[in-house]
Amino acid sequence: MKVEASNCDYGGSMKSIEALDELTVKFTLCTPDPAFPFKIAGDSFAILDADYLNETGGDSNKISENPVGTGPYKLKEWKRGESITYEAFADYWGNKAKTPTAVLRWSKEAAQRLLELQSGNADGMSNVGPDDFETVEKDSSLKLIEVPAANIFYIGFNNTIPPFDDDRVRLAFAYAIDRQRIVDDYYPRGSVVATSFVPTSFAVGASPNVPWHEYNPEKARELLKEAGKENLEVTLTYRDVVRGYLPNPGIVAQEIQAQLKEVGVNVKIEVKESGAFLDSVTAGKEAFYLLGWGADYPDATNFLDYHFGPQNQQYGKPYDDIVALLREGASTADLAKRQAAYDKVNELLKKYVPMIPVAHGGSAIAFRADVEGAHANPVSALVFAEMKPPKDTFVFVQNAEPISLNCADESDGETFTACAQIFETLLRFKLGTAEVEPALAESYEANDGLTEWTFKLRPGVKFHNGATLDANDVVATMAAMWDAKNPNHKGRTGTFEYWTAYFGPFLNQ
Amino acid sequence: MQESASAPFAAAPARPAEQLRVQSPFVRTVRRLLRNRSAQVGLAIITLLVLIALFADVIAPYACDQQIRQSGLRRRSPPCIHLLGCDRDKPQLLMGLDSNFRDLFSRVVYGSRLSLQIGFLTTGAAILIGTLLGAAAGYAGGWADNAIMRIMDVLLAFPSLLLAIAIVSVLGPGLINTLLAVAIVSIPVYARVVRASVLSVKEMDYIAASHALGASPLRILFVRILPNSLTPLIVVGTLGIATAILDAAGLSFLGLGAQPPTPEWGLMLGEERNSVFNAPHLVFFPGIAIMITVLGFNLLGDGLRDALDPRRKA
Repeated sequence: MKVEASNCDYGGSMKSIEALDELTVKFTLCTPDPAFPFKIAGDSFAILDADYLNETGGDSNKISENPVGTGPYKLKEWKRGESITYEAFADYWGNKAKTPTAVLRWSKEAAQRLLELQSGNADGMSNVGPDDFETVEKDSSLKLIEVPAANIFYIGFNNTIPPFDDDRVRLAFAYAIDRQRIVDDYYPRGSVVATSFVPTSFAVGASPNVPWHEYNPEKARELLKEAGKENLEVTLTYRDVVRGYLPNPGIVAQEIQAQLKEVGVNVKIEVKESGAFLDSVTAGKEAFYLLGWGADYPDATNFLDYHFGPQNQQYGKPYDDIVALLREGASTADLAKRQAAYDKVNELLKKYVPMIPVAHGGSAIAFRADVEGAHANPVSALVFAEMKPPKDTFVFVQNAEPISLNCADESDGETFTACAQIFETLLRFKLGTAEVEPALAESYEANDGLTEWTFKLRPGVKFHNGATLDANDVVATMAAMWDAKNPNHKGRTGTFEYWTAYFGPFLNQ
Repeated sequence: MQESASAPFAAAPARPAEQLRVQSPFVRTVRRLLRNRSAQVGLAIITLLVLIALFADVIAPYACDQQIRQSGLRRRSPPCIHLLGCDRDKPQLLMGLDSNFRDLFSRVVYGSRLSLQIGFLTTGAAILIGTLLGAAAGYAGGWADNAIMRIMDVLLAFPSLLLAIAIVSVLGPGLINTLLAVAIVSIPVYARVVRASVLSVKEMDYIAASHALGASPLRILFVRILPNSLTPLIVVGTLGIATAILDAAGLSFLGLGAQPPTPEWGLMLGEERNSVFNAPHLVFFPGIAIMITVLGFNLLGDGLRDALDPRRKA
């Protein structure tokens, strides 16, 4: 089986996906992509059985009813609004689940999740409240696992909406914000002040030698005076959603309001509904907003290309010189060359101030102390199969209910946690790290130009419906996302965010 | 229901000494009210609240959005009261600091202004509109009555907070829109009460007499009928203030009402809802403030009902 674009003019970066033999799949790309293994390890690219995919027509509703994957757990029951129950899959190819039953529950309030954990109703919880770190640590029956800060919290501007169309205003704001104070006062342990947009822990992308503007309210006042924008009135928008990069949205917004008041800017705060806010930001309609980004894979492209690429409208008009440098940085695997390009990008970001990078937020998850195999993953979902509480059921409480169990067409982290127990990808992230390791593929190799990636599949992998994994399953799964004319190209909304974010437009669109 | 204004007040006074003085119904009601235990407590609470709101500038040691930054002073610090042995080097914080380094006591004090304004304004507006609608419906009767009251029935069919949420979702969050939403959902209650009393007062002999004397319908409605239908409205209105404050606080709690950094009690509660266990003072004080205010108006409302009820003699 083979899916192929006749040429690369359709705008995407995928050229062809081909099953070479029963257990070999080859991806051919239009442009070199050093991050391909990381991308393909994302939960959106989990492999489905080709026959099962045809039966369901790729419909997220049908897949959520009866998900068939290769993972260590299969779905037992999804009680909507309440919980998801998994049971161990007896024919799993790897290490079998250590606990026969796993339960995923959710609660929006950090205090309530902690209460569940303390009372022993739950064995683990996500997103410990930033003020609860100490409580958890002092409690000997609990343990805290800090998650490395692979994210960025930034204050965004739109350079087409007044008064932010004036470069001096954006620069003045950059001088007016005391980032150190925000991180010291409102962020939990493990958080750092951002010097660049990309976290410093990444191989390339951050430029410690190009530090961000120092806090200087005097200079901010001067710049505003020079621009004739004294006694400015602006509206700051944000969504009241807790993420690792922004653990206290409302409180940080009020701090920024207070800081800007010191330089004579009056800020009105407006909270927006999460989905509507994101849509509005993406459409370039928010002038001054708080937002952040969590890493999907540890490479600069995941941060910089997504935000400052030619398609992105959220900062207003894209900057052509930055776009050109980003192309340069993504087209080679040579780290020194890439870093040189990204250093220039960071210089330009500092000059144009499309956003103010504030913090890389540390977060933590907590477990009962008697849970063996408790871990936290910096960029991927937790693996319930590795956890073993001293009873037969492992219960985890997270922020929110998953949206569906077909993660090909999802982009929400809480949903990925639910999918990742059932479905598997060709490569996966090693426990507790951001490195990839073989999963459904035993091995993989790339040509020198980084455009052809060949994956050797693991033999004898069984799906939950009894089918055996082969190369055609991989091609069928990918084709359903890639090809807009494919009968299985349905999903929940049909947007397949991660496919388009990583590989550009669909085929036959 | 028999109305107090039309009730004869020839009842024998308790003591013969008072027999000489003519007691106006107003004075009589006030006396009865002041003798009522729950009304006493309610009045005391509300008087205190009004004073706090009026003199908030004097009482509050800090401005409501002023950050108190001092070395060694952490955000969400618990209350520090010098009299109770708190270190005198530290600034006195009666209710502690909130998450943004602001004095919680000052914010709660300023919040009383907001809550009272919300209560009086929304209830005032709702009473005004509700009275006009109810009076028109009751006096005109026929299709006008039907049309107005069926609309009111529709509004009453929704739980009031749910309807308010729907209205705010359409208008957008904000304090003004919250006032509007709460006022709109309270209208039907007043319209019903006024219509009911207008219907009963309308049949009184003195109204017929007025008719016979050639008074215009508007004059009859506004001069003869409405003043005599006010009693139940006063009671329902007082209790309504409590409901309005509670509804507005609920909307702010959900993030639909007042926007930060407004010192609104419901908003303060909502912002700190995850601090219940690690900084309880942040939810305790705004919560208590809401409770006391609502209690005050409810007690006063109950007292008024007892005092104005002609069947109950003190």
